[in-house]
Amino acid sequence: MKALILIYLKDLIRNKYTTLMIILVPVILYPTLYWGITQFLMVKSGLTDNQEINLSLDIRSEQFLSVKDSIATIKNFIISETSDEDFNKNSMYLLVNQVDSLPFYTLHLDSTNAIQKEFSEKLKVILSDYYDLQLGQRIDLSPYDKDYFNTFWVIKHNIDGEYENMTRILSMIIPLMSIITIIAGLGTGAVELTAGHTEDKTTETTLTTSLSRFKIIMAKLFATNIYGLIGGILNFSFLTFVIIQIINTLMMQFAGKSLEFDWSLIFNFRTISITFLSLTLMSHIMSLIFVAAAGFAKTRKEGNILITPFFMAFMMMSYVVIIPGIEPGFIFSVIPVLNIAMMIKLLLVNDFQILFFAQTVSFSLIWMLMLYKYLLPFMLEEEIILGISNTSLLKQIKGRFARWKKK
Amino acid sequence: MEEKIIIKNLKKEFYDEQRGTVLAVNDLSFTAYSGEIFGLLGPNGAGKTTTLRMMATLMKPHSGNISINGFDTIKDPQNVRKSMGFLSATTALYPRLSPREIITYFANLNGYPEDKTEERVEHLIEYFNITKYADTLSEKLSTGMKQITSIARTIVHDPPVLILDEPSSGLDVIVAQKIHEHILDLRDHGKTVIFSSHNMGEVEKVCDRIGVINNGKLLTTGTLNELREITGKYYMEEIFIYLVQEYETVKQKETGNVND
Ligand SMILES: Nc1ncnc2c1ncn2[C@@H]1O[C@H](COP(=O)(O)OP(=O)(O)OP(=O)(O)O)[C@@H](O)[C@H]1O
Ligand SMILES: [Mg+2]
Repeated sequence: MKALILIYLKDLIRNKYTTLMIILVPVILYPTLYWGITQFLMVKSGLTDNQEINLSLDIRSEQFLSVKDSIATIKNFIISETSDEDFNKNSMYLLVNQVDSLPFYTLHLDSTNAIQKEFSEKLKVILSDYYDLQLGQRIDLSPYDKDYFNTFWVIKHNIDGEYENMTRILSMIIPLMSIITIIAGLGTGAVELTAGHTEDKTTETTLTTSLSRFKIIMAKLFATNIYGLIGGILNFSFLTFVIIQIINTLMMQFAGKSLEFDWSLIFNFRTISITFLSLTLMSHIMSLIFVAAAGFAKTRKEGNILITPFFMAFMMMSYVVIIPGIEPGFIFSVIPVLNIAMMIKLLLVNDFQILFFAQTVSFSLIWMLMLYKYLLPFMLEEEIILGISNTSLLKQIKGRFARWKKK
Repeated sequence: MEEKIIIKNLKKEFYDEQRGTVLAVNDLSFTAYSGEIFGLLGPNGAGKTTTLRMMATLMKPHSGNISINGFDTIKDPQNVRKSMGFLSATTALYPRLSPREIITYFANLNGYPEDKTEERVEHLIEYFNITKYADTLSEKLSTGMKQITSIARTIVHDPPVLILDEPSSGLDVIVAQKIHEHILDLRDHGKTVIFSSHNMGEVEKVCDRIGVINNGKLLTTGTLNELREITGKYYMEEIFIYLVQEYETVKQKETGNVND
């Protein structure tokens, strides 16, 4: 038995791809998860002592200019003065008006942002004190009783509107699930159409028809894409439906009311069309990689092994999108798959960032063209397209490794 | 008689981890004419499949050239593919398609006129007696049914040249017989048929001319009678064994004697 275990282990370790996976997962996935989870917990548990936060202060009444000094006593607040309504995700906005010679506050904040919420509590204490101070002075000057005046007023505005929690959740689930379901279809399609056809020997007969090789490869790519997209859409619609049903049931159970959500926020023409187009672009990039990788294989099994690393890489990229606190930037727009996942997320929270979108689309197109340029010649090679190669990439790596070991 | 297949000084090497460079086809030349059945014989690993694959534009030769129906396989592969039907050694059918679908599909792929496709497909289904299983998924068919379907899909676009790699291997005598009839029928319609085989009886019965190769080299070509004359043997089996085992050494001795 011991001997058999040893043989099995040797067999596993000698499969360079599984070994690679064993290394790849801890090296990339775990740190990513760790980072994401700690970020999340830090925000949630109020470990925000060192977090700084921006506040745009808009004082419309000369009388209350001194409120700035009071606010400035709160640690880590970065105050900038502004004179117009500022709806910004990254900073809070406080408008100070005057009603009956007393301060009237309006606060815009992102209530899903735990840091902003925490600071808003601190802010409320300061503003309330300031109000009381002003009220004291006002009463001294007037014949009216204290009860005559409005008490302290703060109006909180949610920058994302009333359904923002739901939008947030969906904006994470949708990119993640759509990518996962598309990848699954693409993987199966690519392996079937390349390695599967090699295994069934059907490639050979197709290659002797009057179609050119290029067209055959393109047909495989497109078929893979369509398969992936259809599979993705079907899977995804079903999944969304199920999730909504679950939420609904839970809401009925615990809150006694059904889910109220304005679906047009997500299922509108702009969102659906841009999402669909960008997913098409993304699946094209992924299928090029899958088809090229599985093209080296002679059997379905081998094909599946060959695409696994890419499969995992794409999955991880889609996970990154759901990490809280990740904001779009130039770097993200360069990374394929990740950039489009990010773009869909932004689209769903109605944060249409034209620069990021333009960068994402351009870089995705560049990736696609580069993959065509560098992978297509490989795919068209007779040994690879026929699946008869004894000098496939794997073997070449193996050969090189053997030669290196001898030295 | 028109020259339909011209092969000149064909060479193909493979690189193999264990064996190093393998010379699969070595300086091979022969010609086949219209209305002729040419049999390619040789022991396992002789280079038959490799030669046929190069003719079918699946592989590129390292040197030499092939012309099919007047088109060069390197310079004009598209037209070569239009002029021929290729049957690979394994009955390679899409497992989840039915014979009718596969035959139609290959007519389309080969650019057969769309308005005539249905008629052509029905004709072939009838001609090859496929009707009973025409709509069964091909993964459920027997080897013989698969092979018949494969042959039907090979000739669906009515090409002048047919390249068949072991068309009757693994078939029972009755199915094999049927396939021979079809091959003879194709010849009578003026097609050029080249096929490889390990079945000597089949070769004797069907082939107009025979080429025997060993280690990638053509030992000799000729009609059955010509081969009988060269070797002094009567049955194809004896001729074949003689050619593969002794002919080379006899020839070498002859040339060696001259040198002495
Ligand atoms: N893809 C390949 N890689 C390496 N060697 C190959 C490859 N294909 C064929 N060969 C070698 O080329 C030689 C000729 O093979 P081929 O398949 O043409 O023989 P064959 O005459 O068809 O044999 P059989 O009667 O067994 O079908 C053999 O030595 C074979 O091992
Ligand atoms: Mg063979």
